Formats: sequence, structure tokens, C-alpha cells
Amino acid sequence: MGGYRCPGVNEVQVRAKPSGLSFVTPIDGRTGRISQTRRTRPRLCVLSSSVVVRCTRLDRLATTGSKLDGPTMFSERLLAIFAMMAAHERGGGERGILCSVAKEVTGVDATSIALSIDDASLIGYCASDAMARSLVDLEITVGEGPCSQAVLTDSVVTCADLRAPGVDWMLFTPEAVGLGARSLVAVPIRIGVIRYGALCFYNVEPGELSDEQSADILLMATVVGRGIVALQAGVEPETLSEELQSEAAFDFSVHQAAGMVAVQASISISNALVSLRMHAFALSEAIADVAARVIARELHFDPRIQEWIET
Amino acid sequence: MNRESLLVDTLVELADNLVDNYDVIDVLTLLSDRCVETIDVAAAGVMLGLPGGALQFVASSNESMRVLELFQIQANEGPCVDCYADGVAIINHELVDPDERWPLFTPRAIAQGFHSVHCLPMRLRGRTIGALNLFRDDVGLLTPSDVVVAQGLADVATIAILQHESTTSARLLNTQLSFALNSRIIIEQAKGMISQSATCTMDDAFARLRTYVRNHNLRLTDVATDVVGGSLRVGTLDRPK
Repeated sequence: MGGYRCPGVNEVQVRAKPSGLSFVTPIDGRTGRISQTRRTRPRLCVLSSSVVVRCTRLDRLATTGSKLDGPTMFSERLLAIFAMMAAHERGGGERGILCSVAKEVTGVDATSIALSIDDASLIGYCASDAMARSLVDLEITVGEGPCSQAVLTDSVVTCADLRAPGVDWMLFTPEAVGLGARSLVAVPIRIGVIRYGALCFYNVEPGELSDEQSADILLMATVVGRGIVALQAGVEPETLSEELQSEAAFDFSVHQAAGMVAVQASISISNALVSLRMHAFALSEAIADVAARVIARELHFDPRIQEWIET
Repeated sequence: MNRESLLVDTLVELADNLVDNYDVIDVLTLLSDRCVETIDVAAAGVMLGLPGGALQFVASSNESMRVLELFQIQANEGPCVDCYADGVAIINHELVDPDERWPLFTPRAIAQGFHSVHCLPMRLRGRTIGALNLFRDDVGLLTPSDVVVAQGLADVATIAILQHESTTSARLLNTQLSFALNSRIIIEQAKGMISQSATCTMDDAFARLRTYVRNHNLRLTDVATDVVGGSLRVGTLDRPK
């Protein structure tokens, strides 16, 4: 987990829920972690020196966001995803990280991510292994398949048995079976109207995903979506997990602000979202704070001079 | 109109709406509106979460920042968070500052003029998928019959998420939840664009969307998608009367 350090902070007040008890506990100066406490798990990380770290129920861990905001609550599942990403980043995974993590989190045999260009064609972004890579390439070559269908229909596309009669994709399916895939699920990666592409999960045996897996694939799709925005905004791939963990999930103000900027700058909503994030970077502010200022009309993008203007 | 009649009307209206191809955000907004009328609260709203994901605002009786801000805070802390985590209703929680339980939420709610909060879990097949949040600005408590009505409306909201699917598999529910959450994002994107183009508040922007939807018998998310995509010009949206 984490491992963030807070120089100068040597104790924090911890509020334990649901009892509401609060107490002061020392932080290990070396690891920045709370070592021994009653009713808390030892895996709490303090990111900011000024905000209290709270632990909630045993299945929820809290990490703090920016110094200005309150704590940002991430579920244990999301934290596990970020931790896996961090581990892969340390191993130098680069581009393939998101696919490897998607595979590790869900336990499927292979995964791939394909990105859509202009809502029409797909390009392969990453694959967890050679089989997945071939499957994505196949889909792109024949021009049909689960990923493109997921993007086009904006829905989760499932096939429990590619060998069953009556399966779609006459060009894709027999070849896919030949490559070793027997069942698959493709999830669209989207943020509102923006369609980034699809995340595909393949298994070599027939069957459907479990309930838990079905939840994880959707969660992974949201992580990948936010990851793509971050990468487009210039985040280095090897710091992606840290970036995603320190920014809260986009709340509605971010989407509203993106809409405003899209009109201000006469750009697509997708580019507007990236611009917002880039500006937040430049100012070292949380994207939600920048969004709030845009909505309050204290900040806007002037297309004539291609600059952000504070009012 | 007495409460019973209001309630019957509400249930009929909702049943009427839950036919083929309805828009889940539209229905949840309608439901929030009806909550305010039948239970005598000042504001109502719905938050939903994917398993492992953040709780997200999806609908409210009131789109002003005064109310939406309180849902913003509740991504992290507040009655919805607790209700969602525990699956247990929170009834007649009087807002008193300082509040150890919700140190950020409570002062803001009080500042916005609210006196008490209530939260009903939205549950299906032993799982909590979200919460119906109610705010009162008067002194006074919800009665037991208020609570029954509120939980009933929360249950209708839960069923509305399923859309026209009759099975209640966890897989399907998750997919529908994800769809509802994404629909809300589309609406927020559209609100931003309308607010900028028409120089109006976000509140007003939403009202314009809804008015257009009513006048042309369309789906809220479809209209919002067309606005964001550029195929429906903001100027075409009618001003709400």
C-alpha cells in the first residue's frame, strides 16, 4: 500500500467508525504509517500533513486527498487496483500495465484495450499477452468483433461460448476460437458522451463471469477511462497509479466545467476534459477546484489568445 | 390534495413512466420531486454506487448548487455514505454543528438552511446499491408513516434502475448501475455546455433540457447526448416557462 511520507508530522488524530471514537496515535517516521492502533487496520496512509486520516469499516480504507479537501474515500477494491498498478509500474510495465492489472484483478485468462479513433476505427492500445494481442489485431483486421460492438452500442458485450451456434461476428468468431479464446466480455470505456474504446476480457474456457468479476470489469473500465485522461494530459505512465490515487473520482462539477470549456474554446468535450486536467496540473490544484472556479466564472479559456484567464 | 391521493397519483405516474425505453435519470428526478411533495421535505436526491466504486449523485429534486454541493461532499462523508455502507436507514438525524460523525457535511448542510437529514437505503437482493437522501428545513420529525412512504419510494427507485430487465442477476444490476451513472455524466456535460452557451445557471440549464424533453416527448439522456455531440443546438432548447 501507499508508503507516502509526511515530513514533520509525527502523530495524527484518527477517527474510528462506526464507534466515533477518536484518538491520537503516533506515525512511524520512516514509513509514514500508523503502526499500532486499536480498531484500525495498520494499512492507513497519510498523504497530507493537515488532514485527519479516518478509518471506516473494515472493508473501507481512507486516504487523504489534497491538503485543501477533506479525505477522499476509496474502497478497498480500488486501492487494491492502484496497488497492483504501482507494483507493475515499479516492474517497468509501461503501456501494458492497465491490461496486466485488469487481468490480475479479475482473474481472467487475457485482456486487451482498444482505443477508438473518431468513434469509427479501433487501434490496439495494450494486451496482457500474445493471445490477447492477436485477438485485438484480428478484430481490427476484420472490422468487427466484441470491442467495436461495445463501443458502437455503448453497452457491455458478452459471449459465454464462442463455439455456440448463432454467435455474432462471422468473420471474427471462428478465427478467435482458433487463437484460443472461448468466451469473452467487452466493456466500453467512456466518460459520459466520450467514448475512449473498449476493455476486453477473454477466457479459454466457456462460461460467464462471476458476480464479483462483473463488478470488477466495470470498475476497471472507470479506472482505465480516468487513466486515459491523465495520460492524455501528460502524466508519465510510471506515475499513473499515484496520480489516480491522489485525485478524487471526477465529480459532476468536473463534467460541467468540461462542458463550459468545450463551448468557450470550441473544442470537443474530450479535449475540454484534458485541457482542464492539464491546467489543474499547471496550477498544482485539484481538478475539482479548477472546475469549481470555471463554474463560478472566475476562470475561463479564451480561444482567441489560447490562454486561461482568471477574472 | 391529501397525502394518500398524492401518493396514489405518484405511484400511477411512476408506473406509467416505467414502460419501455424510459430514461432512468428522468425517472429518478421525477421520483425525487414527488418525494418532496408527499413527505414534506425540502429536498430529495439519489446517490448510486458500483461495487467498489465511489458513491455518485444521480438525481435530485433541486439542481441548485445549494443542494448539489451537499451531494458533492457525500462522495466522501455524510448520511448517504453511512447508509450505503451499512444498508440501514438514517431517520430524523438533527443537524448539529460540530458533528464528529460528519465534520464537513453537517456545517454545510446547516449553512444551506437544513435542519435534519434522512437517508433510505436502496436495496435489492440483499445488496445496497445506493441511497435516497432527504433534507428538511423545518423543525420537526418525519412520522413513522412518512418513513414507510419514503422507503417505498426508495424501493421504486431501486427497481427503476433495472430498466426493462426482469431478471435481477448481480451482473445485470451492475451493468444497469454503470449505465445510470454514465447517463448522469452525460447530463452534467450537457448542463455545462448549455450554461456557457445560454449564459444561465446550471439549474436553469437542466430545466431547459427537461422542458425540451417534455415538449418533444424524448429521452433526457438522448437529448443531453445530442447537445454535447453538437447535433442539437443550445439555442433550440426552449426556455422553461
